[in-house]
Amino acid sequence: MGSVLRRLLFFFRRDQFDRDLEDELRFHEEMKAHALADADGMSGDEARAAARRRIGNPLRLREQSREPWTFATVETLARDVRHALRLMRRDPAFTFTALATLALGIGLNTAIFSVAYGVLWRPLPYPNPDRLVIVSSAQQTETGPRTFSTWAPVSYEALRPRVTTLDQLAAYSSIEAQLTGRGEPLQVHALDVSPNFFTTLGVNPARGRAFLTGAAAPDDDRSAIVSDRLWRTSLKADPAIVGQSITIDGLPRTVVGVLPPEFSFRPVVGGGALALPETDIFLPNRWPGDTGRSAFLFLLGRMKSGVTQERAEAELTALVNDSSIVPAGALGTEGALAPNVRTLARAVGLQEYGTESVRTLLLILLGAVSFVLLIACVNVANLQMARLSARRGELSVRMALGAGRRRIVHQLLTEAVVLSLLGASLGVMLARIAIDVTLPLVPQFALPRLGGIVIDARVMAFCLGLSLVSTLLIGLVPALRVSGAAFGEGLALHAGEARTTGDRQGERLRTLLVAAQIAMTLVLLIGAGLLIHSFVRLTSVSPGFELSGRDGVVQTVKVTLPQRLYDEPERIHAFARGVLDRIQYLPGVKSASLINSPPFGMMFIRDEFDIEGQPKPKLDAGRPKIDAGYFKTMGIPLLAGREFTARDTAEAPKVAIVSQRIVREYFPGGPGEALGRRVRLGDRGEWLTVVGVVADIRQRGLDQEVQPMIYVPFQQERGDVVRFVSFVARTATPASAVEGIRAEIRRAAPDLAIESTVTMDEAVAASVAPPRFRMLLLVLFAMTATLIATCGIYGVMAYAVTQRRREIGVRMALGAEPRDVLRLVLTRALRIVVAGLIVGLAGAAGVTRVLQTFLFGVTPTDPIAFTIVTLLLMAVGLMAAWLPARRATRIDPCAALRAE
Amino acid sequence: MKEAKTKSKNELLPGTLEMLILKTLSIESMHGYGIAQHIRMLSADVLTIEEGSLYPALQRMLVKGRVLAEWRISANNRRARFYTLTTAGKKQLGVEESRSSQMFGAIMRVMKTT
Repeated sequence: MGSVLRRLLFFFRRDQFDRDLEDELRFHEEMKAHALADADGMSGDEARAAARRRIGNPLRLREQSREPWTFATVETLARDVRHALRLMRRDPAFTFTALATLALGIGLNTAIFSVAYGVLWRPLPYPNPDRLVIVSSAQQTETGPRTFSTWAPVSYEALRPRVTTLDQLAAYSSIEAQLTGRGEPLQVHALDVSPNFFTTLGVNPARGRAFLTGAAAPDDDRSAIVSDRLWRTSLKADPAIVGQSITIDGLPRTVVGVLPPEFSFRPVVGGGALALPETDIFLPNRWPGDTGRSAFLFLLGRMKSGVTQERAEAELTALVNDSSIVPAGALGTEGALAPNVRTLARAVGLQEYGTESVRTLLLILLGAVSFVLLIACVNVANLQMARLSARRGELSVRMALGAGRRRIVHQLLTEAVVLSLLGASLGVMLARIAIDVTLPLVPQFALPRLGGIVIDARVMAFCLGLSLVSTLLIGLVPALRVSGAAFGEGLALHAGEARTTGDRQGERLRTLLVAAQIAMTLVLLIGAGLLIHSFVRLTSVSPGFELSGRDGVVQTVKVTLPQRLYDEPERIHAFARGVLDRIQYLPGVKSASLINSPPFGMMFIRDEFDIEGQPKPKLDAGRPKIDAGYFKTMGIPLLAGREFTARDTAEAPKVAIVSQRIVREYFPGGPGEALGRRVRLGDRGEWLTVVGVVADIRQRGLDQEVQPMIYVPFQQERGDVVRFVSFVARTATPASAVEGIRAEIRRAAPDLAIESTVTMDEAVAASVAPPRFRMLLLVLFAMTATLIATCGIYGVMAYAVTQRRREIGVRMALGAEPRDVLRLVLTRALRIVVAGLIVGLAGAAGVTRVLQTFLFGVTPTDPIAFTIVTLLLMAVGLMAAWLPARRATRIDPCAALRAE
Repeated sequence: MKEAKTKSKNELLPGTLEMLILKTLSIESMHGYGIAQHIRMLSADVLTIEEGSLYPALQRMLVKGRVLAEWRISANNRRARFYTLTTAGKKQLGVEESRSSQMFGAIMRVMKTT
């Protein structure tokens, strides 16, 4: 402690210290001179000179004596920083290149990290989020575990009061709801939730109250809680909204609460594959009287403090397998779970559950950008080393003047720190811009929790860490070189040798670094190449229906009929028939029809089926409900029989049209054989006569297998599924026709919200948006890396040419043709590039496996991508070497030799 | 050449120089030149303390509070900086002495075997 105080004191009395030391050393010198004069009989001046010689370098002595007093060399640091800034100002080309490279590397990393952190690791905006779990069920099968995310209400009601490891167990199910009576009818994302939903999350509304969790309250199914966003937009931020009534799906609901602005809940569906948009309306539900086996509830639990996921899972598993508690068969959708097999309950952290799908992608992207940063750092380190050779004179002089080696290393590291920090600041700005520009381009549903993506203290800390790493990389390599042997001879080297053969060791290191850059760049480029090839493969798959062309485009307009208004299938049929009859005759509409589950939509219903006189098929079949003219409108070829017509009404004989896949699997005689045969959907459905066979289509995505399909006339379907209606129309002039269709729907049902209007082209494009986005990102990173590495090759070759100016001059004077010189330089470059490529290829072969899940139709070691990309990079590398090589051929031998 | 030799000696037994200085100062207060002379004489010219080691060592000891420095008039009537041992310095000397005797004993034992 005392020493710190003494040092502080020293800091304020530095001048005194210097004077004291000066006096002390002078005294010493005189005493020594005196002694020498006495002993050897030298004259006064001689003795003084000898004494001075013996004492050695006075500056160094002074520096060393001063050193114990300084605080982690605060002063020298300030001096070094000033020196570094001065050097940077003096060499703007270097400064610009180094800063731009670092800013790019650090910026990309910061941007991707902020996304990864925001999505994967930032704590959810609820109290104790680590205790929130999604409860799902799973069964071990031969092909691995099958997981089911949803539960039937009876199972939920059985589990909720019995489970002891959870404080709360809530249920929710995602629904679409219509808000009417407040301006334009609005389709909003809503959630049916158990009354304890908000208690489970630990969130209280900003206004009003949460749902009452006690015994069924009278206003139970008449209340609603709305999001802050909905309150601000559709409800016009009415401060007295609590207690008012809004109309949802045609029923009045009392708003009992408005959630706080920062509240966010994006339900994850499809086994964690899709994150739905933010929920705007929450409706309490106890699912009374729903004792069916249909499983549609997600269970959200809050574990008691101190309870582990394993314990919760063990308890839930025990409960689930007790058939006196949970009725057997009520665990999953009919047929989803095998009977007589033990069902496991799983409790997955809410955060983990929502982000499983993007975790791999984000980690891959993080890996890719860290490669970019490495390449960038190597470049700057290389530049630094080249500069170091040029600065050898300066450094030698400094060392001769008494700067210790440590001091020089210190100074070089300081320069690296200054560079890195400046680069990092620019990088953060770059990241900000990148995030602002890119986030709106992220395909819908691709990323859960966009709100969590901000550049905050933690991201800044990460960025600072990056700059530290880059400091080490770009500072340490040159600094180590200084400690190396070549510098010991300092002045001698500076005198002349450097200009002829250059600094061999440094050059070897630089060459090595550039080869490493090429290797890393190749790995990135191959990754990008694989995604490009995969994307080409994907988009060359035909969806099976006709996209835009001579016959115009297919437009779809989707509505969902609220159950409370359309409780009878007759009403739905009448509505659909009425609208369809009118839009067929709209100007610009060539043909029109409807379907309940359009291809590339969110909905696809599959079921088991039977063929009369055949054993039970193993496959499930899609079962869309369509109206007359559907295949003509979509451009799906009819292979045999007929389309549905207006005569296939509810009263007419029940008919079906099957897809080619079914014929291929079960009717070896071809499409003709299927006609007239009977099929049945579900295990208790009616028998339907096959009247037609159509070509296969891709229902759910270009990368998905072709599904067997059994089309059924819309007018003959009485189930709930017909509440979803998508009108499809092939039109020549899309815009005006769409307005007409919307107007017809409004005329038929004024309170109905129109959910979406898309062309089939858009729907297909949207389905490939995530792979396209992934591809573009990786291509962007790989291009950046290539650019930086190209600069690296160029820099090293240009420097080498300058260094060997004289040698080349001599060669030319001795008769070497420009061609020989060109070959000399290019061969050298080629050697570096090829070495890098070989290492890169080996690395890529090992690494690209991580891309497996994102590849369609290509293997991770796709020879086409590997070959093209390798050749490309080789060409780019040679091109980067071409310019310095050209310059070498123009060296004037006379001038080069005279310069000596 | 000479410098390198002392340096390597100091590196061989870290803290030795400081111990020698402490010991010298425990006899009486002395200036830097005097310390160097004293050590050289007592060691019969075997130990030559370089200025480049002596003064930084003295500064280190000042920082650690083991010695005090003050300007006094020297024997030959010159103004010189005299170093005096503090209580902490005396304590340190005791520590160093016992440690070095242990160390030398150990070295000797190693050297005498075989």
